[in-house]
Amino acid sequence: MHSDLTPPQALTQVLRALPGELAQPYDFAEFERRAQRQLQAARRRSAGRRIALAAVAAAAALVVYLRGFGPAAPPAPLALTAPAQAQSVPAGHPEVLDHWLAALPREPAMVQVGPRAAVTGLEDRIAQVDDLLSAARVAQPPPARLLALQQERTQLVGALVQVRYAEALVAESR
Amino acid sequence: MSRLAETTVPDEVLTQACAGVAQARAAIYAAVAPATLTLIRRIVGERAVAEDIFQDTMMTLYERLPQFRREAPLGAWLRQIAIRGCLMHLRSPWARARQCLDALEPTALSERGFTTPCYRAEAIDVERALATLRPTARAVLWMYEVEGFSHAEIAREFGRSVSFSKSQLARAHARLRAWFEPPEEHHSCTLI
Repeated sequence: MHSDLTPPQALTQVLRALPGELAQPYDFAEFERRAQRQLQAARRRSAGRRIALAAVAAAAALVVYLRGFGPAAPPAPLALTAPAQAQSVPAGHPEVLDHWLAALPREPAMVQVGPRAAVTGLEDRIAQVDDLLSAARVAQPPPARLLALQQERTQLVGALVQVRYAEALVAESR
Repeated sequence: MSRLAETTVPDEVLTQACAGVAQARAAIYAAVAPATLTLIRRIVGERAVAEDIFQDTMMTLYERLPQFRREAPLGAWLRQIAIRGCLMHLRSPWARARQCLDALEPTALSERGFTTPCYRAEAIDVERALATLRPTARAVLWMYEVEGFSHAEIAREFGRSVSFSKSQLARAHARLRAWFEPPEEHHSCTLI
């Protein structure tokens, strides 16, 4: 038998007699200001997540495309469709893109596992192609082979730029 | 202490608030805010945590206000939102981790000077007694004793069994009894 489940009525009375808050913790204007701030933060988080997911999906699709079909088509120009107010990305030439990538901080402020894996994968692949290019230049292969390797490198650098650009956007939006 | 569950707001104010009239929303805020914060604070204990839950509760209130069917007082409906917010907090990994840490130091409150025998014999401080309860036991105690929930309702809110509610309440009562009843060996604190 739980004798303590039927406590004296006094406990309820004592608890109910406890003083409550006499005033609001803050006024309605302050409440609305905090609510607005919370909503904006939630929107920013949601936008950042969407951008990161889109970047990962784009990078994954490109890697699958490159591994599955090879660089048959000429390299497409980089078409970055990010908002205009964001940090601008140099278009086109591989050396310029290399330079832009080198100028980025090595470790962005916050990097999710997904984009990070894509970045390292792309960087590794670029390094491999660079090795192949160096070896090919020494061995004097047919020009078509050299061109194909250069095209593949251009595409990989383009993919890397897109992923790093998306990371930069996410970091800015925080 | 005015109870949240009994707080009512005129229908026209509710209608205007649903339509987004700022004055009506402010009037609702003024009517329910103190009692809502009181309830949340009694359940979660800490003021800072209570204010966070209060903010979320009020945001949920305005967001869902058009769904309020006006069959019960607004305060009773808001009480459900507030209690669910508190229980979500108590179930969160963060709160559970803190409870585990607190359990490692069961004497923490005593060390802060609340259990001096002469003090206990002379002044029954209910708020301090409540602060010595584990958060779950305090929430069950408050819901049962003050808000009038049944054990079945408490069990449903916690997603646990009726026995859980009864045992938590029994623990809370035992703890409060130990706090309120003077120890058998009463030490005098009279200075000589």
